[in-house]
Amino acid sequence: MNKIMLNKHNIGSSDFINSADNLKASGKYLLGIAASDERTLNSKFNVKYFFGGGGGIEEYCVDADESFQSMSKICPAAKMYEREIYDLFGLLPSGHPDLRPLMLYPENWDSSVHPLRKDYNNLIPDMKKYGEYKFKEILGEGIFEVLVGPVHAGIIEPGHFRFSLAGEPVLQLEIRHFWKHRGIEKVCEGKDFKETLDIISKISGDNNVNIAIGYLEAAESILNIQITERAEYIRVILAELERIWNYVRDVAWIFMDIGFALPAQNLFALQEEFMRLNKNLSGHRFLFNSLTVGGVNLDLDSAKLKAIQEAVEKVENIIKDCEEFILNSSTVLDRLEFTGKINHKTAEELSLCGISARASGLPRDSRIEFPYLIYDKLNLKPVLHDGGDVFARTVLRIKEIYVSKKIIEGLLFNLPEGDIAVACGNKPEAYKYAIGNSETSRGNAFFYIMADDNGKIFRLKYIDPSFRIWPSIQYGVLGNIIADFPLINKSLNLSYSGNDM
Amino acid sequence: MSFLSKLLFKNKTQEIGAAGIGSILIKGEELKRSINGVFGRSLFVRLVDSGSCNACENELAALSNPYYDLERFGIKFVASPKHADVLIITGCVTRNMLNPMLKTYENIPSPKFVITAGDCPETGGPFKDSYSVCGPVSKYLNVALHINGCPPEPETIISGFLKFMDMLKAS
Ligand code: SF4
Repeated sequence: MNKIMLNKHNIGSSDFINSADNLKASGKYLLGIAASDERTLNSKFNVKYFFGGGGGIEEYCVDADESFQSMSKICPAAKMYEREIYDLFGLLPSGHPDLRPLMLYPENWDSSVHPLRKDYNNLIPDMKKYGEYKFKEILGEGIFEVLVGPVHAGIIEPGHFRFSLAGEPVLQLEIRHFWKHRGIEKVCEGKDFKETLDIISKISGDNNVNIAIGYLEAAESILNIQITERAEYIRVILAELERIWNYVRDVAWIFMDIGFALPAQNLFALQEEFMRLNKNLSGHRFLFNSLTVGGVNLDLDSAKLKAIQEAVEKVENIIKDCEEFILNSSTVLDRLEFTGKINHKTAEELSLCGISARASGLPRDSRIEFPYLIYDKLNLKPVLHDGGDVFARTVLRIKEIYVSKKIIEGLLFNLPEGDIAVACGNKPEAYKYAIGNSETSRGNAFFYIMADDNGKIFRLKYIDPSFRIWPSIQYGVLGNIIADFPLINKSLNLSYSGNDM
Repeated sequence: MSFLSKLLFKNKTQEIGAAGIGSILIKGEELKRSINGVFGRSLFVRLVDSGSCNACENELAALSNPYYDLERFGIKFVASPKHADVLIITGCVTRNMLNPMLKTYENIPSPKFVITAGDCPETGGPFKDSYSVCGPVSKYLNVALHINGCPPEPETIISGFLKFMDMLKAS
């Protein structure tokens, strides 16, 4: 069952914004903002702000009619959430400095249609141009722009990057995302909790296990389900395996981007071995459908346990070699150190999470801050670095592979006996809501879910770590040469599909 | 021994060869013969992700790892549509990606072919009724072949290419 401490505060809009400064001063940081159309229940919209820091999570609930007060000026991390709410609900964040549309493009969407309102009639605007999107412009002698994307040269996802340059160094980068906006939050509404799990695994395929764990934390708490200890152990093992193969791939791409194909291919082969291990464990190379509401779908017998143990031992040996190589090679260090620096202050202002936060010295790791499953028994310490550069992010990934390996080894041969899943016939209490949070390889996956009076989803808000972190790259590239952008981008390795949703 | 020389002399791919992935070699060699026969040289492929969950891209990228190393069989993923023969599309086609997808297609010189990878581009997957999804791909482009799977495994994609070459030979 969900172990997160949630302190609820119900307050009027303006009082809250006034206290937001104090909140920040007390070391709290913004985890996310979720709006919800509850006019059918209490004739209001509401906007919920979630803050982390200091053990529990603070929830501030503010009622809204057609507008609410923006807090972007006090808390820059709120900017994107408020733009999103303006798009999808049409609630005006008054005082917001930048109200350009985010996911509903004026190139194909009528801005008076807000699909997440409950009275949205499912009418889809004609596919035609309704307006123009204005990019920021830097003017001056010798300044030129380089436009990249949305379709990129490699096998990667779409996104648009606009660089303003004076000579080599980048003066400004503006990102335009949400090309892949699939409207997943709306798709989930009216579905039951099992159907939703299936959709949730397709938010960001390479992190589906960890994201599903976050979802299940919320879902099972709404449904009042306590899963067995064995299922908890298996979830953690699968989650850490996913973390390892993600990190292996990330480090491989770093090598690739600095021109070291040999170690890169070596790591890609290792990643492939993990995909095959996944297939052997679950029948699927990405472990899709391994988790279920009430437990897990796969059990680990002694042959599977042995396969996992061999794999994590192998990964440790190879990664040790890589670490030594990175630390002893001046050509590698020259490319990684001081590149793409995101300083501590920026990381804090933007409420970063995951590797990106820990590489800038912020001890943010949901497994430790808001422990779930059995993470509170594992005595984990956050692995930190204060460099904030590509080097810090690369080294942290390597160090965290060791941590994950240790976690897995500790659990493998201590699996408690028991069933892997419990029955889940419970019908949730009408309009009960819960939050769920888990640490993916990119940062924390945050869910806010409310059930309706039929046992289906009334509102589901998901906040992907990439959604929080993407804006930071606009600061990370400043002053760097444009040729280093791919490397900086890979060192954060953010998801487009999770961000765009 | 230094790290790099260790990698050079104890080559990963040799181990992989020994690990018995015969089926890929057999399919790959057949693919190579077939591509040489029809195109005279390599088959160039350009990818557009029209709204996937990224697992499909991961599998397409896996085709370049030492286990598969698709380029040795004459299939290359290229950076520009102007160089491509085939457009591979993944994802459910979001409203925002429709235009970039069609533009990429326009920029491929004829003769050109569209292959979709994954269930999303064929049916829209679980997202087909969403307000921001306007797929499937076949509404807009002639699709030569759908490679199914969620996501299709690398070997399934190779088999897909083989099937595609057979179709070309037959026509
Ligand atoms: S087909 Fe499956 S794996 Fe591929 S993009 Fe769609 S949901 Fe993801």
